[in-house]
Amino acid sequence: MEFCKAAKTECDKIIAKYPEKRAAMLPVLYLAEKEFGHISPEVEKYVGKLLDVPPVKVHEVMTFYTLIAAKPRGKYHFQICRGLSCDLKGCVKIIDYLSEKLGLSSDETSDDLMYTFTPVECLAACETAPMMQLNEDYYGNLTKEKIDDILKENS
Amino acid sequence: MPKITIDSTEIEVEKGTTVIQAAEQIGIDIPRYCYHPGLSIVGVCRICLVEIERMPKLQVACYTPVADGMVVHTNNEKVQQARRAVLEFLLINHPLDCPVCDQAGECWLQNFYMQHGLYDSKMVEDKVKKQKALPIGPNVMLDSERCILCTRCVRFCDEITETHELGIFNRGDHTELLPYPGQELDNKYSGNTIDICPVGALTDKDFRFRTRVWYLTETPSVCPGCSTGCNINVHHNDHRPYKAGGIRVSRLKPRYNPDVNQWWMCDEGRYGFTQVDADSRIVAPQKKTRGDWQLLSWQDAIDEIATKIKGILKKHGADAFGVILSPQMTNEGLFAAKRFFQETLEVENIDFEVVAREKGYADDFLMKADKNPNSEGAKKIGLSAVDNSGLEVAQMLADAKDNRLKALYICHHNLEKGFKKEEVKEALSKVDLVIFQGTNQNSTSNLANYCLPSASFVEKDGTFTNFAGRVQEIHKAVEPLGESKPDWTIFRNLSKRLGKSMPYFEAGDVFNALAEEVDAFKGLSYEKIGEHGVLLNGHRASTEKEMGALVA
Ligand code: SF4
Ligand code: SF4
Ligand code: FES
Repeated sequence: MEFCKAAKTECDKIIAKYPEKRAAMLPVLYLAEKEFGHISPEVEKYVGKLLDVPPVKVHEVMTFYTLIAAKPRGKYHFQICRGLSCDLKGCVKIIDYLSEKLGLSSDETSDDLMYTFTPVECLAACETAPMMQLNEDYYGNLTKEKIDDILKENS
Repeated sequence: MPKITIDSTEIEVEKGTTVIQAAEQIGIDIPRYCYHPGLSIVGVCRICLVEIERMPKLQVACYTPVADGMVVHTNNEKVQQARRAVLEFLLINHPLDCPVCDQAGECWLQNFYMQHGLYDSKMVEDKVKKQKALPIGPNVMLDSERCILCTRCVRFCDEITETHELGIFNRGDHTELLPYPGQELDNKYSGNTIDICPVGALTDKDFRFRTRVWYLTETPSVCPGCSTGCNINVHHNDHRPYKAGGIRVSRLKPRYNPDVNQWWMCDEGRYGFTQVDADSRIVAPQKKTRGDWQLLSWQDAIDEIATKIKGILKKHGADAFGVILSPQMTNEGLFAAKRFFQETLEVENIDFEVVAREKGYADDFLMKADKNPNSEGAKKIGLSAVDNSGLEVAQMLADAKDNRLKALYICHHNLEKGFKKEEVKEALSKVDLVIFQGTNQNSTSNLANYCLPSASFVEKDGTFTNFAGRVQEIHKAVEPLGESKPDWTIFRNLSKRLGKSMPYFEAGDVFNALAEEVDAFKGLSYEKIGEHGVLLNGHRASTEKEMGALVA
C-alpha cells in the first residue's frame, strides 16, 4: 500500500504546508480517499506512517468525519438532502423514490460498486430544495422525472 | 513570581503554574475529570470551570496558567451553575448502573453529583445505547455507556506506555472509547487505566463484583513484586469476610511516590498478590514423618529444631551447616537471621541469592528483572556468601550432594527456579536436617523435614530496600494466617531457645538495632522512614536516576 509517484509528491507538498506533520491529517486523508477509494485499515496505517502518528490517531479522525469513506463507495455517490428546507419541499418522496430505483437503503452500496446511496444533512443549497449531490455536482428542484433523467445519464 | 487571589486568599506561585495547581497549594480542591497530574493537559471535560475576573467567560482551571494579579472564584453562583450544567450533560446518556457498578463508592460522577449536581433530571428521551461488559484486554473490562470521554486512559497509553491501544471514535453522542480495531489493551501497565478512569467505564476483571468498595480498608505498603518497590495500598476486606470466600486481600492499588513509581504500578505486581490467600499457604509448623506431614505446635517445633541443630553443630561443626536466606524477606527478617545464624550459632555458610534461570521481564520504566523486593537490603546487611567467606548457594548444594552438608536452613526460596529439579532433589535428600521457612509450599518445601510458617508481606510490619537503596515500609493489613509469624519473630524465638535472646518486640526494634549496627543504615530510624521511604547512606541518588526513564 503506497501512493503513486504523483500522489506522493502532492502529499509531500501538503505536509510541507503545516508546522507539524500531524496537522496535515485531513487533506492527506482526502487525498488518500481519492487515490485508494476508501480508507481501509491498511490505508489508515499508511497515512499514520506518513504523518508519524500511530494508526489509532488516524482512525479517530477518520471515524469523526462521516464525509470520509471507511467502506468502498460506488462509482456514483448519491448524497440526498433530508434537511429542513428539503423536507418542507417534499424530499421524503424523492428520497424514497431514489432509494427504490437504486434498490438501496440508507448508506448502502450496490454489490457491483456502481451506486452508493446516502441521505445527508443540509448541503447549503436550500434555494433549490429538494436537492442532492451526485459525486461533485449539485442537482436541484428534484422531481421523480428529473431523477429518472439523472439516472439515465449516469449508468 | 505571579501573585494571584483565589477565593480571597492571596498566594504567590511559580510562573507556569495552572490555576488548578495553585488552588491545590492552598487546599482548594477544584473538581476535575480529565486533568491528571501525571498526564498531559487537554481541558476536555469542563468540570473545572472557574470565574476569573475581567475575563468574559468562565475558564478551565486545569489549562489556564496563573498571571500576576489574577482574581479567581472557584465556588461562586456562576461557577456552581456551570458545574451543574456540565454534570447534567455528562449524565444525559449515562446509564446509572450504580447498583451493579464496581466503581460505585469511588466514582467521581457520584461524588461530584452529590457535591455539585443535585439537580432534577430533565431527560425524558431514551438514552443512547453502547457496548457493555466488553473485555478489551486481559485485565480490563469496558462499559462504554459509562465513559465520560475524558481521554485519561487514551493519554496513559499514548504518553506513559506509548503503546497507543486506545482511541476515541465517532462523533456526537455516538462517540465511543475503544481499542483500535483488532487490538487489545494488553500492555504491562494496563491496570493503571482502571485506576485513573474517574468513572465505572474501565473496571478490573480481577475485582469485578468481588466486593463493594466501601467494605474495603486501605493499608499503605510496598509491592514485593520486584526490586523497584512501587508504593501501594493494600485493599482488604475486613468488614464482610464471610462474603469473600476466604479472600482477605481484594486488590492492590498504586500509592503516589514521586521518587519511585509516581502514580503507577505494573500489572505483574498488581495481580501478583494471590499467594497470600492461596491454598498453598503454610499455616502451622509441621514435620515430615515417614513421608507424611504432621502438624506441630510452635513450642514443639522450636524445641525439636533447636535440639537437632545443636546436635548437628556439636557432631559436625558449623561448616556442615548451610543457610539460604531470601531477598523476599524484610530487612528485619534478614537482620534477625544474621544475628541468629552468625552470633547464636556461629555459622558462616550464609547466602541469599539464587539467580533465576529464567530471566525476569524488565523495561526502562518500572519493572526490574530482579523479582525480589529486598536484594539491596540483603546485600547491605552483608548476607552474600562473599561477605561471610562462606559457601554460595550453588556450592552448598554441591557439598550437600557430596554428603558434606548436614543441615540446611532454607527461607522462602523455590530452589528449582535457580537449579535443576533433580539436582535439588538429590542434594536435599542427602542432608540430615532440612528446614524450610516460608509463606507458601513449593517444590523445595516439599523436600524439607520441617516447615515453619512465615507471615506474608500483608501480615507484618517491616521494611524493604529497593534497588536504588530506598528503605520503604510495609504495614500489617491483615492478621498472619493460621500460626504464621514474621520471619524475625521466628529467629528471635529460636535464638532464645538456643541461649541468646534478642530484645525485639516489634519490627521497629529490629530495624533500629540494624540501623545501629550496619553502616549503610546508620542514622536511620524506623520512626523517620515516613510514607515515601528514605535513602540509605551513600545512596544520594537523584530522583531522575532512581526513576530511570520515568522522567525523561
Ligand atoms: S460510573 Fe459511577 S455513576 Fe455511573 S454507574 Fe458506575 S457508579 Fe454509577
Ligand atoms: S474509559 Fe474512563 S478514562 Fe477512558 S475516556 Fe472513558 S471515562 Fe475517561
Ligand atoms: S479538568 Fe479541566 S477541563 Fe477537565
